[in-house]
Amino acid sequence: MKNIFSHPEKSIAAKLIIAIGLLMIVVSFIFWYATLKKQEEDIMSIALKYGDSFVQFTKRSTRHSMLIYERDETQRVLENLSTPEGVHRVRIYDHSGTVLFCSRGSTVGKPVDSASIACQGCHRNPGTSPVLLREPKTWNVYKDEKGNTAIKLIGTIPNEPDCYTASCHVHRQEEQTLGFIEADLSLALLDEALFKQGLALTAYVIIFVLAVSLFLGIILYKIVSRPVYELTDAMDHVANGDLGYSVPIKSSDEIGMLAKAFNAMIKDIKAARDQREQWTQTLEVEISKKTDEIRKTHANLVQTEKLASLGRMAAGVAHEINNPLTGVVTFAHLLKKRFPAESDESQDLDIIIEQSERCSKIIKNLLTFARATPTEKGKVSINDVLRRTIFMVQNQEKFHHIKFNVTLEDSQFVIVGDSSQFQQIFLNMFINAADAMGGRGNITVGTRTIVEEKKPYVEIEFTDEGTGIKKEDMLKLFEPFFTTKPVGKGTGLGLSVSHGIVKHFGGNIKVKSEIGKGTSFFVRLPLPSSDAKKSHE
Amino acid sequence: MNKILVIDDEAIVRTSCQRTLVPEGYDVRLATSGQEGLDLMAKESFSLVLLDLKMPDMDGIEVLNRIKTGWPGTKVVMVTGYSTVDTAVQALRLGAYNFIEKPFTPDTLIAAVREVFYGKNQD
Ligand SMILES: Nc1ncnc2c1ncn2[C@@H]1O[C@H](COP(=O)(O)OP(=O)(O)O)[C@@H](O)[C@H]1O
Ligand SMILES: [Mg+2]
Repeated sequence: MKNIFSHPEKSIAAKLIIAIGLLMIVVSFIFWYATLKKQEEDIMSIALKYGDSFVQFTKRSTRHSMLIYERDETQRVLENLSTPEGVHRVRIYDHSGTVLFCSRGSTVGKPVDSASIACQGCHRNPGTSPVLLREPKTWNVYKDEKGNTAIKLIGTIPNEPDCYTASCHVHRQEEQTLGFIEADLSLALLDEALFKQGLALTAYVIIFVLAVSLFLGIILYKIVSRPVYELTDAMDHVANGDLGYSVPIKSSDEIGMLAKAFNAMIKDIKAARDQREQWTQTLEVEISKKTDEIRKTHANLVQTEKLASLGRMAAGVAHEINNPLTGVVTFAHLLKKRFPAESDESQDLDIIIEQSERCSKIIKNLLTFARATPTEKGKVSINDVLRRTIFMVQNQEKFHHIKFNVTLEDSQFVIVGDSSQFQQIFLNMFINAADAMGGRGNITVGTRTIVEEKKPYVEIEFTDEGTGIKKEDMLKLFEPFFTTKPVGKGTGLGLSVSHGIVKHFGGNIKVKSEIGKGTSFFVRLPLPSSDAKKSHE
Repeated sequence: MNKILVIDDEAIVRTSCQRTLVPEGYDVRLATSGQEGLDLMAKESFSLVLLDLKMPDMDGIEVLNRIKTGWPGTKVVMVTGYSTVDTAVQALRLGAYNFIEKPFTPDTLIAAVREVFYGKNQD
């Protein structure tokens, strides 16, 4: 309420209240004025009536003494009629304006004031022209010497037969009007009553205006100002960025609708902002994810390229080593022939020969693996490739403390394909297993025939006693570049490439894993049906 | 006739063959390249050529082709590294008699050469 009037130019309510207040003051004043005027008129007409009857009463009271021409008697009657509060003066004068009797006696014999209503009530120009006013005035109101309202009334004394037939013969028969009775009556009491009434009316009007303004103010404050202030307050909040703010909706009128619309707008803005923020965030996340991926891919490409060139180099080197190795083997044999079979020298040379042969085997496997370009497809025996791969890895330091339990079904499991691709799958399985076991433990390898949806498959099992795979990683295993190994150790390509190859052959890979116990991978490759029949028979 | 020609760019391989086969009673000649081998064959006749598959100038397959057209009666045994087994198989199709893998032992070499001269069941 306070803030309405502290800055009225800023408040609709204050403006309305002031406007309505002003209007009410004007209307009330008109009402007040009209009422007072009407009262005055009413009172005046009553005063006139009483004044008239006073004049008639004076006329009747003096009639007798006049008829008998008792001038002293007439004078006494008039003096008796005059009272200090109500009747100021009563006098009688003739048509020429000479005062005959006066209640105060002071003006007897003197002419009346020709400018007063005594003459001008009927005559336009008293004394010079006989023209009479069409509507003669018989009274007027004036202020007496004390400042109180007073009324002067004039009554005519018409000629009557009794008058011109009286013994005194003062009046002739032709005379129409013999004289006038003039009464000056005080209206001081009426003045007081009017003043009191005016005071009361003024008080009523003021109280009414104040009460209506107060009532209007409260109503306007409640239904206009407060909701509008709440709205502007909310707008300030929003402008300062607080989009969680909302306006309380208290009514269903226009302001309530405005608040509702405002809330809806803020909600929309907030939603838009939230969405934009979310977009920005997702975009950032996406960008950093992609950046990471690109960085990783790049690192992996470098790594892969390194590995590939390393492989090519190793192949070349291995091939060259075969020639000197041939020399070593040959000359060791030649030397051996020079010593007796059981001699120490012969036994030492056997070791040289044996180790040279081991070298040649390692190189053979290395060459198989490092061959970069896939050779033409041929008939490949899964069991053979498995055996060769196991043999190869057993010669690597990584696998020195790992025991292989190999149970291969007595079948060749011939598949048309590139042996190096299968070797790649198996080798990765072994390396993963060895990594998971920290280089120590048992790897169980097995092959068997299974039938899935009436079609024969060879199932190759790789089971380790390693760390196992976390549930959340299970789905990502076959994604390219998914690895939990440190950079330089893992490429995250092994399983994805394996999966690609197996899928190409129409097979699949299944995983079973238990944290802390170990992991089993089952690689299933479809067999040609005729072959399957043979192996089943 | 037990004349054998060894064509190999690597001295140690040539020497190994020579040292293994001479004590067995074979007459062994050596050539360091395909071209040198073909030149020698133009002068002398050989029963068997031990031919390296992978050589810098002219590779084994080409030399084999030349021998097979020029001297159809001469038998050829290919000597290969493991990575060229597929090529060795191709060589067999082109008319090579057999192939041995490097590194070979004297026994393997002798057995392979014997097979050429005396047939499979000879020992
Ligand atoms: N036998 C296993 N035991 C536990 N975890 C494994 C095993 N095999 C694969 N994994 C998990 O799968 C990931 C992906 O393997 P892989 O595709 O071969 O790539 P890399 O070996 O280069 O990491 C590995 O980093 C590892 O976390
Ligand atoms: Mg791996």
